[in-house]
Amino acid sequence: MADVKLAFIVQKPQYKGETSRLAITHAISYQTVEILLEDGETVTPKLCFIGEGVLGLQKGQNAMELYGITSTESHMKNTLLVDLDVLVCKEDLDRYGIPEDAMPDADEMGADKKIQVVPFTEIQKAMEEAKHVLFF
Amino acid sequence: MGKLALGCYPGLVGNMSYDFALKLADAAVSKGHTVSIWFSGNATGSVKSHQKHLKDYSTGEKHLLALVAKGVEICTCEACTVARGIQKPEGIEGVQWNAMHWYLGKIHAADRVLLIGGE
Amino acid sequence: MKLGVFVSDFKLTVDTLDRLKAEKLGLILVQNGVYHATTKENGKASSLLEKTPNLYALSDDIQIRGLKVTDVDKRVKVVNYSDIVDLIFNDYDKVAWL
Repeated sequence: MADVKLAFIVQKPQYKGETSRLAITHAISYQTVEILLEDGETVTPKLCFIGEGVLGLQKGQNAMELYGITSTESHMKNTLLVDLDVLVCKEDLDRYGIPEDAMPDADEMGADKKIQVVPFTEIQKAMEEAKHVLFF
Repeated sequence: MGKLALGCYPGLVGNMSYDFALKLADAAVSKGHTVSIWFSGNATGSVKSHQKHLKDYSTGEKHLLALVAKGVEICTCEACTVARGIQKPEGIEGVQWNAMHWYLGKIHAADRVLLIGGE
Repeated sequence: MKLGVFVSDFKLTVDTLDRLKAEKLGLILVQNGVYHATTKENGKASSLLEKTPNLYALSDDIQIRGLKVTDVDKRVKVVNYSDIVDLIFNDYDKVAWL
């Protein structure tokens, strides 16, 4: 199969556990997997945030200053820079009172992609279209 | 027969999801399936050799060696592993070291993928 | 899609699980997820057991907790690791761990 679509579903918040951050970094690594694949083969993850996973996506994070680690905000900007599709569940943002403009973009780094706020049905569709679904 | 790509992120000690991953891998390879295991996060601490098996704690080494002997490909995330103070020469023989794209490569070829998230 | 979901917690994953839709959904209860099959809260069986007729619980994870196969709700089939491998490859085209 030339292209394998994946749905990465992040359902835990950032910063307590590591798993939700690893979802982001593993998704970004789709850029370098081609060195292990045959010509024309690709892996395309969609990074989706649902439930408590939508927490921890806000702008203004101070992870480097306070804990000496890369912030999720920074990882999200890199995600957009490498042209990954990022879907965030609208119902869950509403549930937790998070406005869409509280989330980062990577405009200043020249990224064309933006975080897409979508109803859960779109995330369900991403899961159905994917060959594999990975929950983080 | 199929190909199963397991991702295992929980730590060896303190989380029995790790034990589940290894038992499932053993059951699958024993039935003739091709199995790979990717360790990331705290699971990477389990690739250090010379583990002492105390009965209050799960042990990984003897199970990992047995799985490697059965043909299971096991790879640890190098960055996660060295971040935990483990260097390659200290690692269990037969366990590969690589970066996250190794897992995506295995996923590309897999019939089934099970990602067991960690802490 | 035919989705097999490993439920490894008693409480924590129900919110996500409630929203998942699949043409065929299987719930494989492992680790603390087996309590969904064995435990009644205030006299009521877990609502998870009404979500699908395709319910399985791992025998090792039942017995390690001092529970017995006879404690398992009749709607749930008790399986071993080898059975789970067959479920993964034969009954579902995607599997997920919650």
